[in-house]
Amino acid sequence: MNLRFLLLICLLGLGPSNAATDPQAVLKAVVDNQRGGSLRATLTLNITRPERQTQLVLEVASDGNERAITWVKAPPREAGQAFLRVGDNIQLYNPTLKRVLRLPPSGRSDSFLGSDLSYSDLAGRDLEQDFTPRVEAESDTEITLELLPRPQAPTPYGKLVLRASKPGFVPREVLYYDQRGQAVRKITFAQWAQVGGRSFPTQVTVEDLLRPGHRTQMVYSNYRFGVPIPESCFTVRALEAGC
Amino acid sequence: MTPKTTSAPALPRLAWRNIWRHRRRTWLLVLVVAYATITTILFWGVQDGFAQSVQVGNARFLSAPALITTPQYFEDPDPEQGLPSLDFLPRVEAQPGVKAAAPRLEFPALIRSAYTADAVRARGVDPLLEAKVSNLPGAIAQGRMLEQPGEVVLGQQLAERLDARLGERVVLDTSALAGPQALGLQVVGLVKSGIAPVDRGTVLVHIQDARVLTGLQTATGVALDVTRGQEARIAEALQPVLPENLRAYDLTQLLGGLSSAIGTKQSSTFLIGMIFSLFAALAVTSTVLVSVLERTREFGMMGAVGMTPPRLAAMVTLETVFATSLGWALGLVLGYALNYWMATQNVLGPVFASYGAAWEILGIGGEIYTAQSPLYALYAALTIALAALFSILIPARRVLALNPAEAMRTE
Repeated sequence: MNLRFLLLICLLGLGPSNAATDPQAVLKAVVDNQRGGSLRATLTLNITRPERQTQLVLEVASDGNERAITWVKAPPREAGQAFLRVGDNIQLYNPTLKRVLRLPPSGRSDSFLGSDLSYSDLAGRDLEQDFTPRVEAESDTEITLELLPRPQAPTPYGKLVLRASKPGFVPREVLYYDQRGQAVRKITFAQWAQVGGRSFPTQVTVEDLLRPGHRTQMVYSNYRFGVPIPESCFTVRALEAGC
Repeated sequence: MTPKTTSAPALPRLAWRNIWRHRRRTWLLVLVVAYATITTILFWGVQDGFAQSVQVGNARFLSAPALITTPQYFEDPDPEQGLPSLDFLPRVEAQPGVKAAAPRLEFPALIRSAYTADAVRARGVDPLLEAKVSNLPGAIAQGRMLEQPGEVVLGQQLAERLDARLGERVVLDTSALAGPQALGLQVVGLVKSGIAPVDRGTVLVHIQDARVLTGLQTATGVALDVTRGQEARIAEALQPVLPENLRAYDLTQLLGGLSSAIGTKQSSTFLIGMIFSLFAALAVTSTVLVSVLERTREFGMMGAVGMTPPRLAAMVTLETVFATSLGWALGLVLGYALNYWMATQNVLGPVFASYGAAWEILGIGGEIYTAQSPLYALYAALTIALAALFSILIPARRVLALNPAEAMRTE
């Protein structure tokens, strides 16, 4: 009986510790925080270049998973453009041409509205799917994961280093390294909104480390999580007419 | 009126006898004409052969000597227009003149490294078969050819632009029957061909990866290696064994603009060939003229015994025609024999290779063969016809103006 009690104490003691350091579980928790669920929000894009600064205002509706639609509201020169993402498929509405175009493979690396995000980033492939995580460092308040690409995973990076804070595995920073160990890109998260037990980062900064002074900050405002997004939002018609 | 001293049929006999009366002079003329004929044949053989070598060389880098595909894919190269089946392959491989057949799956894609991305046209190949129909596997300057799925071979300039090195990973994105797809591939080889479009745009992947990326389970085409110089004929001959909705295209159709450019160059070459023939004809004429000058006294004697100047001129022209015809026949035998040797052995390749990278840029790949055509005999005959014409215009006119009394006094 004493032996059983001792074993139970040991298991209880090991249990939470194993869950905390299971890299796959940590990665899932971090990604879940970023997903946030269904969402309607205003997104302000501050694009910084060494010689100028540009601000764009977008309206976003997303089901929190595979589908999202984005309308450009300001500045007037860019307003009217819209982007529909369904999985890896991205369609664009050009108000000048009054036409919807499907993004060709060759356009996937193009910069999204002149920012440091590419259309491929918008497609948002899953970190869990493409990388194998390993705990690199862990303290009481923070955990660092090293993410190595799985064989034939569609990523050109040598590794990613993801830093999250505890408890809750709230994403703080992701560093993208090339295959020679040089950091080439950095994403920093800040200003978290609490949504259904998750910490959704409402301020995301993307920095191009190869080109100093190239930075894009995305700030979510007027956000409403968990709102029902009608199916009609994720249609080509909604690109022009809204929903 | 001066009486006729010879009947018309006698004139050729006289001319034929005359040319053997002065054997050394005749052989000299025969050799000059043979030389002109040989050089004419070789000039055209090398010119046409060089153009063919550039075409075949480029075809083996950029496309293939012949390609079987659907007319829809030929017009709009989208994997969705690919081959419905590969069942016809054994029938094609059994056809005479077909040395090898390799299925290919080509598709537009985006290639990404950690630093940049580029739009490319990727070629999915069977690594073992591709070397039989393409020069690309032989032009790998660093690393090796594909061996298995998950690998990629890039053009050297493309790799430099992407800053991707051997052993590193690049990503290929595409969208076809399977919808948007992406795959990370390891760079195992770098191609350096000297042909800009090849070094800037080559992306070779395993055909299994191409099938995963595009969703097409067959191929977009079957590349063929066929007997050199017979591409168009064999492509035509393959048509009956192909399914109704497929066509075989030869390299001139596949290379498009390059073939047109070579055709334009051939037109200017024809002009050079004409000038070349003109000079050869003048060389023959000068030999005839010298022989006429040497025979002034003889012609004076013949005039004195009653042969009219027009007949003397006709005789000189006939002598020229006989001697040049002999030279032409000899030149044809020797010229075609030499041309055949150069058309079957890579004699010129090493010679041109010594000129360095400038020739490589043309895509000839170190192999240059001469071409063979019955037309060259006609071009050489044109040289002879020109020589005969000049003989009438210059030496024969001189004979026409001959004064027998003065001519007989000539030393």
